[in-house]
Amino acid sequence: MSGITSEFVKTIASIWHRFSLGDEEAKTLTNMLAPMDDAGEEVSSSIKFDLEPSDYNRALEELGDEEGLG
Amino acid sequence: MTDFLNFDLCKTSELIASGELSAAELTKASIDRAEALQPKLNSFISLEKDEVLEAAESIDKGLRQGESVGSLAGIPLAHKDMFYRLGKITTCGSKIRSKFKGDRTSTALSRLEKAGALYLGGLNMSEFAVGPIGNNVHYGDCLNPWNQEHTPGGSSSGSGAAVASRTVYGALGSDTGGSIRIPSAMCGVVGIKPTQTRVSRFGLMPLSFSFDCSGPLTRTVRDAARILHTIAGHDPKDSTSSRRKVPDYETECDKEVASMRLGIPSNYFYDGLEADVDRLLRDTRKIFEGLKVEIVSVDVPSHDHINLIWAAALAAEASTIHRKWLRDRPDDYGPMVKRRIEFGLYQPATRYLEALTLREKYLRDYCDTVFSKCDALLTPTMPAVAPRYKDLDVGGGESMPELVLMLSRNTRPISYLGLPALSVPCGFGAKGLPAAFQLIGRPFSEGKLFRLGNVYQKVTDWHNTIPAIVE
Repeated sequence: MSGITSEFVKTIASIWHRFSLGDEEAKTLTNMLAPMDDAGEEVSSSIKFDLEPSDYNRALEELGDEEGLG
Repeated sequence: MTDFLNFDLCKTSELIASGELSAAELTKASIDRAEALQPKLNSFISLEKDEVLEAAESIDKGLRQGESVGSLAGIPLAHKDMFYRLGKITTCGSKIRSKFKGDRTSTALSRLEKAGALYLGGLNMSEFAVGPIGNNVHYGDCLNPWNQEHTPGGSSSGSGAAVASRTVYGALGSDTGGSIRIPSAMCGVVGIKPTQTRVSRFGLMPLSFSFDCSGPLTRTVRDAARILHTIAGHDPKDSTSSRRKVPDYETECDKEVASMRLGIPSNYFYDGLEADVDRLLRDTRKIFEGLKVEIVSVDVPSHDHINLIWAAALAAEASTIHRKWLRDRPDDYGPMVKRRIEFGLYQPATRYLEALTLREKYLRDYCDTVFSKCDALLTPTMPAVAPRYKDLDVGGGESMPELVLMLSRNTRPISYLGLPALSVPCGFGAKGLPAAFQLIGRPFSEGKLFRLGNVYQKVTDWHNTIPAIVE
C-alpha cells in the first residue's frame, strides 16, 4: 500500500522543484500518485537483471510483421 | 457546386490529376467551408488563405505544363497545431507557445508537401496534446460536428472535426494514449496510430519521447493508407525511427481477407460498453464473418498495470519537458492539463525507468499470447459515444483521473505497447453520435489493418454519412 501522503508531495514540490503546493492540490496529486506507486511496486519485481529500456526497440523490430515488404 | 468536398481524398486526387477539378477551385471551396463552420465548430486555430491559394495555383500550373506531381497533389489538408514549420507560429494549443515560431519543419509535413499536399491551417487541439476531451481554455473548445453539445474527443480535436465536416480531406494528429483514435471515433472518421517508430517525430511538439506517434485522420481507410505511406519511413533526423521498408499500403488495402483471423478479446476491451456501442460491435463482427474472416476468441493479458505504468512514464516525460514552465508560469496552463502533467514531478526516476524497461516484456507477452492466435484484434475504440461537455470535469478536480481513464481505456494500453491501431467508424449510437471499432495488430502490421478496414468500408456506408451541419 502506497505511503505517499499530501505532506510528502508538498515537501517534494518545495525541495526538489522550488515551488509550493496548496493542500487541495497536494491531496489531488496524492490520489493520482498512489495507485501508480502501488502498480509500479508490484510489477517491478518481474524485471530481469539485464534488461534496459532500449530492449523494447529491438523487440519491436523482431516481432514485426513481414507481410507487404516485397 | 461544392459536392466534390464530400468526395474522399483518393477520388478527388484523380479529379485533380485528370484536370476535371482545379486545385485552386477545390482550395477556395475548402477555405469557404472552413470559414463558414468556424463559428460553429472552432476547428481551426489558424487559416492560411493566401499562402494555400498560391500553392494551389502552383500545382495547377505544374499540371497544365505536364509536370509530374505527387500522390497528394492539390489536396487541402490541415494539421493539429503542433507540427512545426520553420519560421511559422505553432501554438501547440497553448498560451505559453502562442507566439512560438518553429525552428525546423516537421519531417511529416515536409513529406506531405513533397507529395503536393496543401497546408490550409493549424487545427485546434487539447492544450499541449494533453487530454482526451478536446476542450481548450485558450482557443475555445472545439465542437463535435454531429452534435455541438458534445465533445469531438481529443487531443486531436480539430483534426477530427475538420475531416468529419468535409472541410479538409485529411489531417495529421498525434497519439500518445489515444489522441488520434479517440477523436476519430467521436467524429466518425478513420484514424490510425501507427507502430511506434514508424513515423518520424522530428518537428513534432513532444509530450512523451517514448509514446508520441503521429498519423492521419481521414474519411476512408484508403485515404489513411495513402497519407501514412507518404509520411512513414526512416528519417535520419529522428534516430528512433525504424529503418524498415514501408509497404505500399494502398496495394495492401486490396489484398484478400478470407484467410485472416480476427481476435475478439474475451476480457477487458468489451467491459462496460454502452448498449449502442455493444450492438454496433456485434454487427461489425457479423460483417467480418460474412466476409469469411475467421473469428477467434482471445484472452488478452491484463491491462490494469499497463495503464498505470503508462501514465507514470508519460507523466515523468511530460513533466521533464514542462518543468520550467510549471514552476515559472503555472497560471498559463489550463487546470486539467497542469494537473495531468505535474504529477510526474513526484515520482522517483527508478519508477519511470522500470515502466520503460517492462515495455519489452509486455510487448513480447502480448505478441505471444494474442498475435499467435490472430492477425488482428477487433475492439471498440471507445466504450461510449462522445459525452456532452457539460457532463465532463475539465477543471482538473477529483473526478478527472477517472474520466480520462474511461475515455482512453481501450487506447492507452496499445500506446504503451507501441502497436499499430486503426479506428474505423461503424455506425451511430445515442443522439446520432458515431461509434467506432479499433483493429490492433502486431508491430508494423499496418497493411493488414488497412486490408481489414478497407474491406469493411467496401460493404458498409457509414463513412459516407455526412453531418447535418455541412448540408
